[in-house]
Amino acid sequence: MSRPAPTSRPRLARGCRISEQEGQESMLLMPEGAMRLNPPGLKILRRCDGQHTFAEIVSALQEDFSASSPERIAEDTALFLERLRERRAVDYE
Amino acid sequence: MTGPLALIAELTHRCPLHCVYCSNPLQMKQRAAELTTAQWGEVFRQAGALGVLQVDFTGGEPLARGDLVELAAAARQAGLYLNLITSGIGLNEDRLRALVAAGVDHIQLSFQDVNEATADQIAGARAHAYKLELARRIRQHNLAFTMNVVVHRQNLERLPQVIALAEELKADKLEIANVQYYGWALENRAALLPSERQLERSLATVKTAQERLKGRMRIDFVVPDYYGKYPKPCMGGWGRKLMLINPAGDALPCHAAGVIPGMRFENVAVWPLRRIWEESEAFQRFRGEEWMPEPCRGCERRGQDFGGCRCQALLLAGDAAATDPACSLAPQHAVVAGVVAQANSGPAAVSGMAAQPPARANWVYRSNVR
Repeated sequence: MSRPAPTSRPRLARGCRISEQEGQESMLLMPEGAMRLNPPGLKILRRCDGQHTFAEIVSALQEDFSASSPERIAEDTALFLERLRERRAVDYE
Repeated sequence: MTGPLALIAELTHRCPLHCVYCSNPLQMKQRAAELTTAQWGEVFRQAGALGVLQVDFTGGEPLARGDLVELAAAARQAGLYLNLITSGIGLNEDRLRALVAAGVDHIQLSFQDVNEATADQIAGARAHAYKLELARRIRQHNLAFTMNVVVHRQNLERLPQVIALAEELKADKLEIANVQYYGWALENRAALLPSERQLERSLATVKTAQERLKGRMRIDFVVPDYYGKYPKPCMGGWGRKLMLINPAGDALPCHAAGVIPGMRFENVAVWPLRRIWEESEAFQRFRGEEWMPEPCRGCERRGQDFGGCRCQALLLAGDAAATDPACSLAPQHAVVAGVVAQANSGPAAVSGMAAQPPARANWVYRSNVR
C-alpha cells in the first residue's frame, strides 16, 4: 500500500464533499455514492483541504485518542485515506 | 421504513441523439406532459426530507430542459448531491458555467465509441467531435467527471482505445457499461450482444487497466447479464434503494417497469413522495421476498440479487414474477442460453471478431415515430 508522506497535503477530490446537516449523520458525498462518517473520519476529512499536512492531521487526532500510540493513529489514518484515494475521493502527492 | 437513497429524475424524454440501445421506453412522454420547474422543485424538497442523498438528472437529454439551471439550484437547495447524466449536446460554455455555479457536483458524459464514424452511426447524429471538445472544457471546472461508454459487439474490440481516451481526457472515473437489453436495445439485440471471446478479452483488459490506474482513475465495468451465472441485482432490489420519476411525474421502481402489464404508477403531482415509497402498489409489488417463486424463494442468494430483474423476466419469460431468465438456475434460462448460443455461432464469433454491423438502415433507431 502506498501511503501519504508526513508532509503531503491531502484534499478531497473534485466532486466530493462533506454533508453535515442538522440532526443527521455526517456523510461524505461523492459521485453516485456516499459514506457515513464516524467522528474520527469526519475530523480527518475536515482537514483534507490541501492546507493541512498528513502529520498535522495525525496530531489533531492524537488530542482525541491520547490512549493510542502515535504510530497506530498514523497507520489507521493512512489506511483510511488510502481507501478513499482508491475510490477517487481523496488526492495526495 | 427507510427511504430511498437516490432519486433518478428523468427530466425529459426529448433527446438530440437516437442511440440504438437507449433505455427509454418505446412509448416516450411528450413535452406537453412534462412536470414544470415548480413541480420538480417540490419533488426535490420532498426527496431531501425523505433522506434521499443523491439525485441523477437524466432523460432523454436533461439539457433539452430550458430550466435546467433552476432545477439544479433547487436540487442543491434540497440538500441533494447532483449528478448530471448527459450526452453533452447543447452544453456551451456559458451554460456549463451556470450549471457549475448552481451546484452540479458531477457530470457523467456519454461517448458511443472512440471512432467518430461508428460513434455517430450508433448515436444517429454527428456528436462525437463535440463531446471530445466538451470533455476538455468540463475538466477546466471544479467538479467530478465521469466518462461513460456503452459497449457491445460493434465496439468492444476498441476497449483499449476507450481506456486510453479516458486517460487523455483526465476522467476521474470511466464507466464501461455493457448494453442492457430493454427498450430499443432489445430491438437491436442480435447486432449488439458480444461473443464470449470478446467478453473474456474485455474482462482481462479492464482488470489490467484497473491495476495500472489505481488511485488515478476508477474503472467500473458493468458486465452483460446474459453471460452471468446469476442475475444482476436490478436497482439494488425492487423498492429498496431507488425511485425513478419519469418526465410526466409517474414514480417507477425501475426504468423499464412501464412494460409490466397491470402496474399502476402514482404521480408526484397527486401523492407525496413518502406515501408513494411506502404505500403505492407499484413499489410494494416486488418488494421483499414474499412474491418470489422457486428457485429464488429457497435460494441463498435471494438477499443478494433479489431474483434479478422483473422487467427482464416479463420481456423474456412473459411473467414479471418469474425468476430472471438471465439466472442459470431459472426455469426459463433456455431463452437466454439460446440467444447467447446464436451470438457465438458462425466464423465471426470463432475468430473473436465482431460480425459486420448492420447497414445503417437496419438499426432500429430511437425515435418518437415508430
